[in-house]
Amino acid sequence: MNAHRFWNWFLAPGTLWILVLFAAPLLLIFALSFGHVDDFGRGVYGFKLGNYDDVFNSTYLPVLLRSVGYALATMLICLAIGYPVAYYIARFGGRWRYVLLAALVIPFFVNYLVRTYAWVALLADEGLVNNAIVDLGLSDAPVQMINTPWAVIGGLVYGYIIFMILPLYGSIERMDQSVVEAGKDLYGSPLQTFIHVTIPATQAGILAGCVLVFLPSVGDFVSAQLLGGPDTYMVGNLIQDQFFAASNWPFGAALTMIMMLFLSVWMVLYLRRAAKGEAEVL
Amino acid sequence: MKSGSAFDKPRFLRVFTGLVYVFLFVPILVVIVFSFNSQKSLQVMDGISLRWYEDFFNDSTLRESLFISIEIALITMVVATVVGTALAIGLVRSRSRMAKGSNLLMLVPLVTPEIVAGISALLIFSQLGIGLSFWTIVLAHITFSISYVTIVVRGRLATIGIEIEDAARDLGASRLESVRLVLVPALWPAVVAAGLLVFALSFDDFVLSFFTTGEQSQPLPVRIWSMIRFGVSPTINAIGTLMMVVSISAVALAVMIPRFFGRRESGVKVLTGAEG
Repeated sequence: MNAHRFWNWFLAPGTLWILVLFAAPLLLIFALSFGHVDDFGRGVYGFKLGNYDDVFNSTYLPVLLRSVGYALATMLICLAIGYPVAYYIARFGGRWRYVLLAALVIPFFVNYLVRTYAWVALLADEGLVNNAIVDLGLSDAPVQMINTPWAVIGGLVYGYIIFMILPLYGSIERMDQSVVEAGKDLYGSPLQTFIHVTIPATQAGILAGCVLVFLPSVGDFVSAQLLGGPDTYMVGNLIQDQFFAASNWPFGAALTMIMMLFLSVWMVLYLRRAAKGEAEVL
Repeated sequence: MKSGSAFDKPRFLRVFTGLVYVFLFVPILVVIVFSFNSQKSLQVMDGISLRWYEDFFNDSTLRESLFISIEIALITMVVATVVGTALAIGLVRSRSRMAKGSNLLMLVPLVTPEIVAGISALLIFSQLGIGLSFWTIVLAHITFSISYVTIVVRGRLATIGIEIEDAARDLGASRLESVRLVLVPALWPAVVAAGLLVFALSFDDFVLSFFTTGEQSQPLPVRIWSMIRFGVSPTINAIGTLMMVVSISAVALAVMIPRFFGRRESGVKVLTGAEG
């Protein structure tokens, strides 16, 4: 057996599996998005653009834009919080480095629903945080935190920040420290050195982290469902509704396609780097 | 002395990092602490009791869901580890055009929002006329797990040169024997670690299960979802704490496995693909 054929046998099962159960169904979503619902409430394939008209009408368009806005905010907050943490662990972690990393990963392995639910208990009007605020006399009445956009974004940050910190950590750890010294030798202020040397040197990690936080945030529906209300629903909630309560699969498929369109630029950007085997990707 | 910006001062960074760890751990501590509350409150600790754990174990549907979740995670772990490891070996060793395509295809599930993966699975099952059941959940879980295993195992493979396989072949081993007798043993720690990671991910997964669960055989996270929507209850805290113990044990094992095999490198490195 020649080498090609031999190694292809290793590739075949996994490739086929992903093709049949993942790639092919993506085409089904695309096809169904042009369909309609028959008299029995079942999705039927067809060819009409009506579902896409509906996506862009005044009820649903704000939800799409809101989702992208929340996801961008989540991404930026994760970057702002994650960079210093990753930097500290990579540069000053010393022999505690792996303990610190492991401690970051632990919360991520607590069920996402349970973690988000914990925030409900903390942020509710009668919750622990508000009780503390009232007890300390910071405010007479509970501050409304739940059902606000910031609660939803906070839930997303909490859920996905690990995807930011790990790639950042990887790129900061790999960075050649002597270039920072060189920047300082050239009389760059620490801030200048950071902006002109450190950030460009860790660009791959920044990009990977941003993509890995942004993508799941856009499609999330758990945070908005548990920490928000109808005013903070995201496209994930809308899509989820179409496949369950509202039972309008074709419309749900159209929403999914539009969401994927928003995401495709990021996905391609990431995939091109990842396919080349760059280390920061995971 | 150079005047330092924030990024040059470990003290600022240390405090900031400390606060982030507090932010990460407070909610989890809340879950654990209130799971032992003696009254039905998530605000006031009244006393310590195990009544919410008793509630959980006395509820036959919840108990059943726990076992379903574990079974799904175990089957997913075994199948995804075998298929994903083979894929990783093929990707690194093969120069064929198929390898390039597979390499790209394998990455797509990792960058696709889970809800899309859930809908994909739902549509293919309904298209093929397969009713939602225990097995549809398993099939959906395996799909995304294959990619995880492939990434972790491939990271290890990159550090193993082809020389030892060549040596084995020079000594008369067939290609398959050189993989089975030389490559797989060298990869074993990464394979086991990847498997345990997949176990934890599958055990905790909600979104994919949500889209592929039928009336019967609901895994634990799907039950939690409906419970949360009925309102808060310390039983959820108890379930959350128990699940935490299960998945963190799996991850801890995954981190320690490379050491059991006498490797000096940290399991964290194996899992995050960090280079030494």
